[in-house]
Amino acid sequence: MSRPAVWTGAELDRAVALAPHAVFWCLPRFAPTVRTRFGERLVDTLEDVPADATLLVVVGGGERIDRAKLWRRDARPALTLVAVPTLWGSGAEASKVVALNVDGKKAIAVDEALLPDARLIWPELASELPDWRAREACGDAWSHALEGFLSPLATHALRDELSSILRTMTTLPIANDPEWFEPSARACAAQARAGVGLVHGIAHVLEGRLAAHASERPFGHARLTSLFLRPVMALNRELSPKFDELMEEHDVDGARVLAACDELFDAAAYDEVLPVLEAAWMDVLRDPCSRTNSALVRPAHLSFFTERRFA
Amino acid sequence: MSNHDKLKELLIDTFLLDESEYSLELLRENVDTWDSLGIVSMAVGVNETFGYHFTPEEATGVQSVADIIRILEANGISFDE
Repeated sequence: MSRPAVWTGAELDRAVALAPHAVFWCLPRFAPTVRTRFGERLVDTLEDVPADATLLVVVGGGERIDRAKLWRRDARPALTLVAVPTLWGSGAEASKVVALNVDGKKAIAVDEALLPDARLIWPELASELPDWRAREACGDAWSHALEGFLSPLATHALRDELSSILRTMTTLPIANDPEWFEPSARACAAQARAGVGLVHGIAHVLEGRLAAHASERPFGHARLTSLFLRPVMALNRELSPKFDELMEEHDVDGARVLAACDELFDAAAYDEVLPVLEAAWMDVLRDPCSRTNSALVRPAHLSFFTERRFA
Repeated sequence: MSNHDKLKELLIDTFLLDESEYSLELLRENVDTWDSLGIVSMAVGVNETFGYHFTPEEATGVQSVADIIRILEANGISFDE
């Protein structure tokens, strides 16, 4: 059976009931919901997971799920790990990739042993998501699907798989909708087999540099990937016909994809981060993701961003 | 611009070289950024610049600038300028 298995709520209920010792590690704001359904089984930290625990259910966003994946692999490989995302976008619940922040820089670990054993959609957990967070999560999911699809490392079969996901995404609103969970998870799992591109290269480099930047809200990974989808897709289309050719070949409505990228763009936020992008451009070019972009990214392409030639 | 100049510009941009580091004798083993990801970038750039798709075997087998020229010439892209 392929991992992670996709469980229903009833399967989780049964697994928790049957497990000799099941514990939950969840974001504090979801603790009351988890406690209501499963009783007092919560731990505050991974170090608090009892030695005799057999099942760990992690409930949270991508960062928390990644931490649990890494900890399980390194400290407790026999433990069954179930990932319940409270937000779509990262796809951490379905991916063998873990993104780590090391000294303010993004590091990526890829290992089959990082895959959770099962994942589960619990839509109610996302019901009170702020609009801005839901929008950024949509952008994160779009960036995985789109950059994986366009990656020079993607096979025809993988592009077929991702094109189906892209078609689904074009039917979803850029807003809070639990229908995003499944295509988001599938997009992340699929892109891990090919790689991503410049959108992620920019996000990975700028995240660290913007960590201390005072802004209306943080420039985290999802906000940055949402922000740079439109400029990067425009650059890709200027440099190469590949975007349009692949969309047509795989029966994806490229106009609707680009409309989604437009909708995710935020001009004020772009103006805010542009000086940081200028200062970090050479580091962006050295980022592994930028180097597997669908079009070759060159030093001179910075002007495409500074002159806003995508507008 | 000649094909030699196009290739020079492409490889300088791909591997983030100083212009002084580039020569026809440049070897992959002497370029830190000519790693597995650099091979992908180089293949993408060759396609964009010369319209030629390296096969995976060709892209990974290239060990020097001279090898790139040899493959491109064998596929009808002239460097006799």
